[in-house]
Amino acid sequence: MRRVFRLGFGRGHVQREVDEELSFHLQMRERKLVAEGMDPDAARAEALRQFGDFPAVRDSCVTLDEDRERTAVRANHLDAIWQDLRYALRMLRRNPGFTAVVVLTLALGIGANTAIFTLIDAVILRNIPVAHPEQLVAIGNTARTGSLSQGSPRTDLFSYPLYRDLRERNTVLTGLAASGRTPRLDMRVGGGELYHPRARFVSSNYFEVLGVTAGAGRTFDVNADAAIGGAPVMVISDGYWTRRFDRDPRVLGQTVTINGAGFTIIGVTRPGYQGEIVGQNTDVWVPLSMQHVLMPHQMMLDDRLTSFLLLIGRMKPGVTLDGARTELGTSIRQILEDNATKDFPASVARESEVFISSGARGFSRVRQVYSVPLYTLMAGVALLLVIICSNVANLLLARAIARGREMGIRLAIGAARSRIVRQLLTECALLAFLSASAGLLLAWWGSKLLLRLASDGPTVIPLDLRIDLPVLGFTAAITILAVGFFGLFPALRASRVTLATTLRAQGRSVVNGGGRRQRFGGGKLLIAGQVAVSLVLLVGAALLVRSLRGMQNADAGLDRDHLLMVSVDALDRGYRGERLRALIRELEQRTARIPGVVAMTFSENGIFSGTESFSSFQIPGFTARTTDDTTTAEDNVGPGYVRAIGAHLLEGREFTPQDDQRSPGVALVNAAMAKFYFPGQSAIGKRILISDTSLEIIGVLADVRDHALTAPPERRFYRPFLQFQIGGEPATLNVAIRTAGDPAKAIAAVRDALKATDPQLATDYINPLSSLMMESISQERLVARLATAFGALALLLAAIGLYGVLTYAVNRRTNEIGLRVALGAQRQDVIRMVLGDALKLVLIGMVIGAPLAIAATRMLRSQLHDIRPADPASLLFALLVLTMSAIVAAMLPARRAARLDPLAALRAD
Amino acid sequence: MDADGGLLRGTVDVLILKAVTWGPRHGYAIAEWIKAVTDSDLLVEEGPLYTALHRLEKRGWLVGEWGYSENNRRAKYYELSRAGRLQLRAEVSAWERYARAVGKALSAASPQPA
Repeated sequence: MRRVFRLGFGRGHVQREVDEELSFHLQMRERKLVAEGMDPDAARAEALRQFGDFPAVRDSCVTLDEDRERTAVRANHLDAIWQDLRYALRMLRRNPGFTAVVVLTLALGIGANTAIFTLIDAVILRNIPVAHPEQLVAIGNTARTGSLSQGSPRTDLFSYPLYRDLRERNTVLTGLAASGRTPRLDMRVGGGELYHPRARFVSSNYFEVLGVTAGAGRTFDVNADAAIGGAPVMVISDGYWTRRFDRDPRVLGQTVTINGAGFTIIGVTRPGYQGEIVGQNTDVWVPLSMQHVLMPHQMMLDDRLTSFLLLIGRMKPGVTLDGARTELGTSIRQILEDNATKDFPASVARESEVFISSGARGFSRVRQVYSVPLYTLMAGVALLLVIICSNVANLLLARAIARGREMGIRLAIGAARSRIVRQLLTECALLAFLSASAGLLLAWWGSKLLLRLASDGPTVIPLDLRIDLPVLGFTAAITILAVGFFGLFPALRASRVTLATTLRAQGRSVVNGGGRRQRFGGGKLLIAGQVAVSLVLLVGAALLVRSLRGMQNADAGLDRDHLLMVSVDALDRGYRGERLRALIRELEQRTARIPGVVAMTFSENGIFSGTESFSSFQIPGFTARTTDDTTTAEDNVGPGYVRAIGAHLLEGREFTPQDDQRSPGVALVNAAMAKFYFPGQSAIGKRILISDTSLEIIGVLADVRDHALTAPPERRFYRPFLQFQIGGEPATLNVAIRTAGDPAKAIAAVRDALKATDPQLATDYINPLSSLMMESISQERLVARLATAFGALALLLAAIGLYGVLTYAVNRRTNEIGLRVALGAQRQDVIRMVLGDALKLVLIGMVIGAPLAIAATRMLRSQLHDIRPADPASLLFALLVLTMSAIVAAMLPARRAARLDPLAALRAD
Repeated sequence: MDADGGLLRGTVDVLILKAVTWGPRHGYAIAEWIKAVTDSDLLVEEGPLYTALHRLEKRGWLVGEWGYSENNRRAKYYELSRAGRLQLRAEVSAWERYARAVGKALSAASPQPA
């Protein structure tokens, strides 16, 4: 028997084969019958008769064969994949250096991307862990979780009476809950240690609306806010129960003292629930009805002008977010209109935009602060990954060329081209899988590090960072993209390999300029691309750093290096009126005795304290176009404030101890305010009308950056702290102490002075102004630092890539260079040639990259302060750094080329 | 006689395996051999033989391969695989045990077991 055919392929071949087999049988039988003497027609009938049910047999044979073939094909595929994998593993193990470099750099890229995405997932994307978060609707500015506003109603933060009205009036919600800030809680358990849990005032239906159950005990009775002060109970979080009480079940029912009042712990929330605020865990929930008990000097529950609540509601089935937005917005405006005030007339109530958004992701200040920086960083690490992929592609490409002979041989012995490409892709996929696994580990660690860096103080922002499904999906997606990118070049090359060129390429080639270019065109393209992307990253980093420098060195308009800021809890401790004045006098005397203290002053809001007040007013003769025109920042300050903080008085006088409650109302304005309302004239003697009070402007001071370095100073006016009877009483007391030397040295003495005055006033909020200022731009500092790190990394990788490509090119051109040297070229000619090649690539990259960088940095605009995105200095710096790095990277292979011995070089293959 | 019956089917299978122990054969040759060695008693119709051949090929006991017959015609040859050889060995010994047992029973001379 001679074997001639393999099994055929394609549909129908199974039937054909069965037919052929069976007809062979029938013919053989027929022939035998004829040989035995039967008539041919009868023989055919007899053969069929002996065979039996021909169609049935044929069908069952076909079915059996098709089954068998399917199984075989599947096994064949699996076998091929397994073979590819084993072969790929062998190749990777044979080149451990190559494998390590690729896996490590890729892991770095994938890890950095995943780490940033983990943060984005936790801060921006993930829903809060409650039942059906998609049904929730958030009412109010979700970033204002810690705000308290007094004096006029608002549409981004709400008062308790408005909440009650809306709860009754709306028809789109099954329930509406409220949540608001509390003052600092001083909690003692059975006369023990003092704790300061993070607390929220919440409506009694809060847990019911969110669908959060108790893990132990119970949550609030729905009628807990029926009577003011009538529910001295609290619910604690599972996390706080674990941290503070070691999960002791006896705390249930126990009474603790908070700010002097007794509260009973009635329940612990189920594990995993940390409150509705992302990035700010809640330890303790207290019913809103207890607000007055915890803040005895303030009754906020019946005041429509005190806004401190954010609302969260659950929509009825079938209600859309848009529907809820329309109805709730209308209701809120209607409620505000019904209760219009002079400072907030019905017309304003009608026109105001009400903040209503999906409540699925809860409230978050962290989200507002970090969204843009996170997306900026995401773009940065994505570019970094592009550069890393180019490097990997280059390495693979160089290796593919080195393996040209192997490919040629495999083609020659009959391997399918598609199989070779698949083999290469399998190697890439294996590399990518290893890198992605290492990258995930890196990300797990990196995201925690980033969070720590992003957190201002010693306490880390409480975010639930976990490698969950979206994160894994993201990692898988970028890994697949990366494989597609860096696997494409060598695969394309392999698919172009022909037997002829591979065999020819083994011959030595002295005059081979064109061929060389062809063979490594992809690599050079990648280098130019890398340069372009690096340029984008470098320009971005340079801009962010320059912007940060600008803020750090900006003239704040005061003596930033010699001020110590102290936040004193005087008003919460019951100091008012004459008692408060006496306290201030005593503090003045005590601090004056501290060595190095030059001056002491005080104000309501302090400087860089994070607390701001705004006031609405009228200016006679000034016509407002928008409500913003008659609202500015304000502060209540002590006598001698301007001189004491090192600010500059431009005109008039500042407050004296005589500007008190018995003297006429006066005000200071800053230059921005004077210029806005009284352009081209003096502000002195002009008047500001607040409700029924008239203030005379007695002085103008140069602009001070009181609360932000990220924005130019805004309009602001100052009133005497001691003129209490005009407007409301100040809510806080912030003391500023000016020192001759380093203010940090006075911290201990100031703390002692406070303690000696009244032990209750002991505070840890004593900070040099310069550190408060640095904290206020901690987010900008973090982004600038990370961008610089990414930029440096990109530069390093691009330089390594360039070095690799040039070294490779020099190796390939060994005999060409040898010939040139033999023909009389000098060392510097050779160096110039190699450097020239390198700079040509860099130049191409820069020509592509510069417009890209300018376009890309536009997206940085919101991150930049006092600097334009198209900053020539940043661009120039980036170009210079790139060129220098390229020269350094090119110098090594260039010198190598110049040192070549012409004879040896000519002999080289 | 039931052409697809259990006993008969098992018998045809084992005969097919036996038929190819001396080398690859095509279906017609196998049919002829079985007819010759069983005096045409077992294989009444030839069709079921092919169903059996394809079934055995699917189970991996036979390997089908196209080749040319003695008179130079394309024909499908069946060869015993390693698994088929093991199977045949197992079936032969099972048959022998079975035949011995049945033979012993049928040739018993007394109603009491010896």
